[in-house]
Parts: sequence; C-alpha cells; structure tokens
Amino acid sequence: MEEKYVTLAHGAGGSQTNELIDRVFKAHFANPDFTGDDAAVLTPGSGKIAFSTDGFIVSPWEFPGGNIGKLSICGTVNDLACMGAKPKYLSCAFVIEEGFPLDKLEEIAAAMEKTAAEAGVRIVAGDTKVAGKGQVDNIFITTTGIGEIMPGVRTSGTAAKPGDAVIVTGDVGRHGCTILLARNEFGIEADVTSDCAPLWGAVEEMFKVTKDIHVIRDATRGGVGTVLYEIAGQSQVGIRIDSAAVPVADGVKGVCGMLGMEPLYLACEGRLVVFAPKSEAEALVARLRTLPYSGEAAIIGEVVADPVGKVVLTTEIGAQTMLPPPGGELLPRIC
Amino acid sequence: MRTAKEIIENYSGRPLRIMEVCGTHTHEIFRCGIRKILPPQIELISGPGCPVCVTPPGYIDSAVELALKHNVLITTFGDLIRVPGSEMSLAGARSKGAQIKPVYTPLDAVELAKSEPEREVVFLAVGFETTAPSACLAVKHAKSEGIKNFSLLTSNKTMPNAYRALGSCADAFLFPGHVHTIIGSGICRELQKNGVSGVIAGFQAEELLSALAVIAVKANSGAGAFFENCYRRVACDEGNPAAVKLINSIMEPCDAEWRGLGIIPGSGLKLNSEYADFDARIKFNVPECSGRPHAGCRCGEILKGVLKPEDCPLFGKVCTPLNPVGACMVSHEGSCSAYYQYGR
Amino acid sequence: MCVGLSARVVSVKGGSAVIDASGARRTVSAELLSELEPGDYVMVHAGIAIAKINGSAAEESGQIMEQLDENGKGNN
Repeated sequence: MEEKYVTLAHGAGGSQTNELIDRVFKAHFANPDFTGDDAAVLTPGSGKIAFSTDGFIVSPWEFPGGNIGKLSICGTVNDLACMGAKPKYLSCAFVIEEGFPLDKLEEIAAAMEKTAAEAGVRIVAGDTKVAGKGQVDNIFITTTGIGEIMPGVRTSGTAAKPGDAVIVTGDVGRHGCTILLARNEFGIEADVTSDCAPLWGAVEEMFKVTKDIHVIRDATRGGVGTVLYEIAGQSQVGIRIDSAAVPVADGVKGVCGMLGMEPLYLACEGRLVVFAPKSEAEALVARLRTLPYSGEAAIIGEVVADPVGKVVLTTEIGAQTMLPPPGGELLPRIC
Repeated sequence: MRTAKEIIENYSGRPLRIMEVCGTHTHEIFRCGIRKILPPQIELISGPGCPVCVTPPGYIDSAVELALKHNVLITTFGDLIRVPGSEMSLAGARSKGAQIKPVYTPLDAVELAKSEPEREVVFLAVGFETTAPSACLAVKHAKSEGIKNFSLLTSNKTMPNAYRALGSCADAFLFPGHVHTIIGSGICRELQKNGVSGVIAGFQAEELLSALAVIAVKANSGAGAFFENCYRRVACDEGNPAAVKLINSIMEPCDAEWRGLGIIPGSGLKLNSEYADFDARIKFNVPECSGRPHAGCRCGEILKGVLKPEDCPLFGKVCTPLNPVGACMVSHEGSCSAYYQYGR
Repeated sequence: MCVGLSARVVSVKGGSAVIDASGARRTVSAELLSELEPGDYVMVHAGIAIAKINGSAAEESGQIMEQLDENGKGNN
C-alpha cells in the first residue's frame, strides 16, 4: 500500500529514500543535468558567474500567492538576478518533518518545477533529510544557485550615487502582510496575496533599457526600508524618499493601520529596489510597468550626498523626517 | 486665511511649552515631521502618555513570575513584550520557555481561554481610559459565560490626577483625543478654571497642526487660560457614557505607580470586589513587586519635560531601541525611542 | 497610547460589528455604541468601537481655522 506520509525511513538512505526521490523529486525536476550522480557536472559559460545560497523557513508553509517551494526558487533566483546574473542552475536541500503529507510534498515540488521553468533555471542537485516530529516546523528548504553575469553589467550595494533615482518594482509589504494574516493570530481578514515572484525577467528587461544601473537589491524580510538603510550605509550616501510615492496596496494599508505597523518594514518576496541615474529612471519604470510582476513600479525617491547612512522621508505636510532605522521583532502596536 | 502650518511656522509670540500627553501624538508628531517646522519659541514636551512608558518594572516582574512560576499563558498588547523588568522582559521570559502571546484585543484573550479551558490565561491590562473599556468588556464576557480560567493583571491608569500633578510643567496640554472620546471634556474645563490651558487634538497631521495653531493664537490673545475641543468629530463633550458606566461597574480607583513619576493618588484602576475572581494578583497570590529601575535611567525627568532624552547619560549608548533600559526607549511611542529613531 | 483606527461599519449583529479599514476587515465589539448602522464610520481601539465619527479631519480642521480667523478679525 502506498504510504501517505513522510517517515524517518524515507530519510534513512535506503530503498524508501530512493522511492521518495523518484516519486517526488525526479518526477518534477527532471532535466538533462539532473543525473542522480553524487554531483552535477556542468559547463560554465565564458563570463563571470554569480553564486548564492538561501535557507527558507516559513510558517505557514503555504499561503495565498505561493508556498515554501515557490519561495525557495524565487529567493535564490532573485538574489542572482540582482547581480545582473541570468540564473542557470540550482541545488535544493530539504529537511522534512516526520509525518509531513506526501501529497503536500508533491505540491511543493510542483511549485518549484513551475517557478524554475519560468525563471529559466535548472535544478541539478538535491538532498533530502527527514527530522523527527517536532524537530522542524513541517519543512525547511535551502537552495543554492549559479548564474551567468551579463556582459557589461556591474551592480553592487556600494554603487549608489547622489543623483540616482530610487525605484521600487511594485507595491510594498505584501508578503509580510500575507504571512501575518495566514497565521490568523489577530482575527483580521484582507484580500492580500504574497508578491512572491521570480524576477530575472524584470532584470533582463531593465538591462535592455540601459546598462547604467548601479544597484539592484531584492527586498525580502525587513522589507524595502531595510534595503534603503543597507544601501545608504554601503554606498555612504543619503536617501530621500517621498512617502506619498511609495506604492502600498489598500489591504496592506488597512492591516498596518490596525496593527500599528510600517509597510516599508514588512517583508516582500517579489520586489526589487533599483538605483539608477535619474535620466534613465522614467524609461526603466515605463518598461517595468509592462511586465507581469512590476505593474506598480514607481520612482519613490533619490540619492543625495548627505546625511550619509540615513533615510529621510518627505511627509504629507512637506516636512523632512527620518525613517526609523530597522530593528527588532515586528510586534503589533496597539496602545 | 492663513493655514495652520503658516500660523505655526511664523509664530513670533512669547515662548510656549506645550506638553503632549499621548504616545500616539508623540509618534505622529515625529512621523510627520511637525517638530521640524516649529519656530524656536515653541517647544513640545513629551509627557507621560504611553502606558508602556509609565508601567513600572515591578509590574513586568509580576507578569514574568506568573508566566514562569505559575505557567500561565500571558496575553498582551505587542509593545509590552520588550519592556524591561528588574530581571528580564517578557521576551526574555519567552526565551526561557514562558508562553507569551500578543493579541489585538483582550476579547481575543477571553476566546483563547474559552477554547482551552485547561489553561490559565492572564491578560496584561495596561492603558488609560481609552483602553480600560476593552479590559472591562473582556472580564464582563468571561463572567457572563462562566469562563473561570481568565484573569487580568491590572495596571490601568487614569489621566485626570496626572494632569493635575503636571499642570505646572507646561503652558498648555495637547489633550489626547481618544482618552477624551471616553471621558469627555469635563476635566479640561475644570483645569481651565484652575488656570491650566489645553486643547483636545486628533491624530492626523492636519488635526495636530490645527490644534497647535489654536494654542499658538489663544496663548497670545491675553484672555487667560483657554480650552478648546479640536476633535469634536470623534470626542464629544460628554464622552462615551456607556464606556464610563462600564468601567465604573467593574473597576474602582486606586493609587498607582507611574514609572519615573512615583505614586499618583487615585490615578489607577483595579477590579472591584464583585470581579475579584478575575484579578490575577488575588488568584495567584502574586505579591506587589517593587522593581528597581536602572540607576542611571532618567525616564522620570524626561516624562516631566525637565530633561530631554539626549540629556540622559544612557541615551543612545547603553539604552537603544534594540536594547532598551528605560521604558521611554521601549515603546515606539516613548520619547526616547522617538528621538532616537526620528532624530531631533 | 491609544492607536485609533477609523473604519467603516460593514454589518452589525448583536453586540458586534464587522468593520472595514482600506480592505482589512475584523469583527469588533459594538457594545459601547447604540444605533450603529452599516455605512457609519467608527473609531476602533483594541477591538472596541469607542465612538461614531462625524465628518472628516479635513472638514473639522477647516472649520477650526475659519473660526480662528474670524476671532482674530474680531480682536483687531
């Protein structure tokens, strides 16, 4: 009889491990470079490569707009894309809690297959471990990726310059808000879905508009606000943001209003923050708005010489005030 | 007609010290950058208006004891979780295995108790008159539904005696709109009779600006102490009588310790004898803790407007939002946290 | 203290109301307000509707500034 749950035997390295790999992973990840040998054998391109790794734990593991599988592909693909690298190969390592339903594992693998195909990346190596009940929260996934950097492209967190425009590729805070709602701890309902998406396509299109892009960074946990502070610090510049220009979906606004949270600090999983000369910014935004995951792209501010390391907001009364620096656990503020 | 912003920016009258006594006012004033447009003659003082700021360390100690020794599930508003006690914060207790859960409303804590009858659930009832009705409703629901595993650890406070105690610290109060949404404007008129000026203000940028403009104009009209309700669309003069009645039927006044200010007589609320079964102090026999604040901490003087956050020797060095010592740094609304995050 | 949320009443049933703020919905207690109807705007704090809202901040601020202007003229 077919087993319905992942058991410790599936992680023991014997025949049941092979069955799990055949049934779930080979079925979904099949491609000529995924051989089942101890390591994948790959032929690199002629240019530089980008190389990155990321671990994913998310509770709940599925949420409106995606699941941990989709997230694990997008996260590494987007990290590579931010360096101007076309994602080529991924490895993925699973740690699965004993008792996790096999059909759910297949759902996760299917989401990974679909997202990898969309991003044009091949999954070429993998690993599966099963942990005892309670040792992990359902499932953890780590992905590692290699991408080929496009010729003539050089992005870096240290490269923002005064005179650059700051662009976000869509409305902010959706993933963090979605997860908060999915945990259902505060009895709030809102029509919000995760922005989780693979963004290589958006990056490729931007470089068709101009090669003169200084910084691309994906806003993940910590949100866009954290990225702005990172770049202000790494590039030793000041950043000015027009708070009215930051796109925020209505539902996210409402949830943030109820819980006293700042959308700029809620996680995104499908948003890039882009720094490029002002002369290129309008054309970049115009192109981004024609693409599937960046219809709400907007110029939200500019880079200035000082104050170095700070992010300053222009508020609704036209005054300048500092965006509070990121820090600490996000707690709903009620009183 | 001049706009509120123009009146404030171009103010050239006598020096004015305006005390906001609401953390949300403090927060919004910083968030929209109102301090940046004030002329040098107008000074805003952040008084004791955040329940987190004025919650004494001993209260946190009691909550930690309940969580660790009595194994209860502590439910709380989120911003209390990082408040330092004498030994540790609730976040610290959580890392030692204590069950601490942030909730949106105490009514959710009652539902939690209802769904898990085997488990003792305690809600940390802090806050001013605005928040007291939610704690009272929670207890009322628990009593009428016969829920016995729910109780409150109260540290509720009331503003009138604090106003009376602080009246001499400023030229005018920016009265907190939502406290007066509950209690009405009677106390404000009484203060006016006694020479203490103030204006009830809302929370949006334009509401704060128009309230400040009213203070700037009235303070220089030479007509003596003034009062105006600039938040009539929400806070009517009689307040919310149903809410006041609810509070009075379930709680009674008591003396209360305000962190940094000491004990202000009659400025607290506790459950009355009819609801004693829902008082966590009685139920778990928790002694009144008198916690020790950090020796160098100047929260008290900062709350009174005597010192600015940067005058405190710990500010920005030992005491930061990530590692707060005094409660003024803990809450996002605390004076020190707001100064640290938004700059002067 | 007292983060308040301005929200529209979607429905009222018994002592509770479903409110909507920019698309975020929650059930809150309506026990402290009488005669609440769908379409009303309320101020919500800690899960309790504490007041009905009459008019917008812009309207009230406008009135306050007009009043201040008129009083100022009277004094001159």
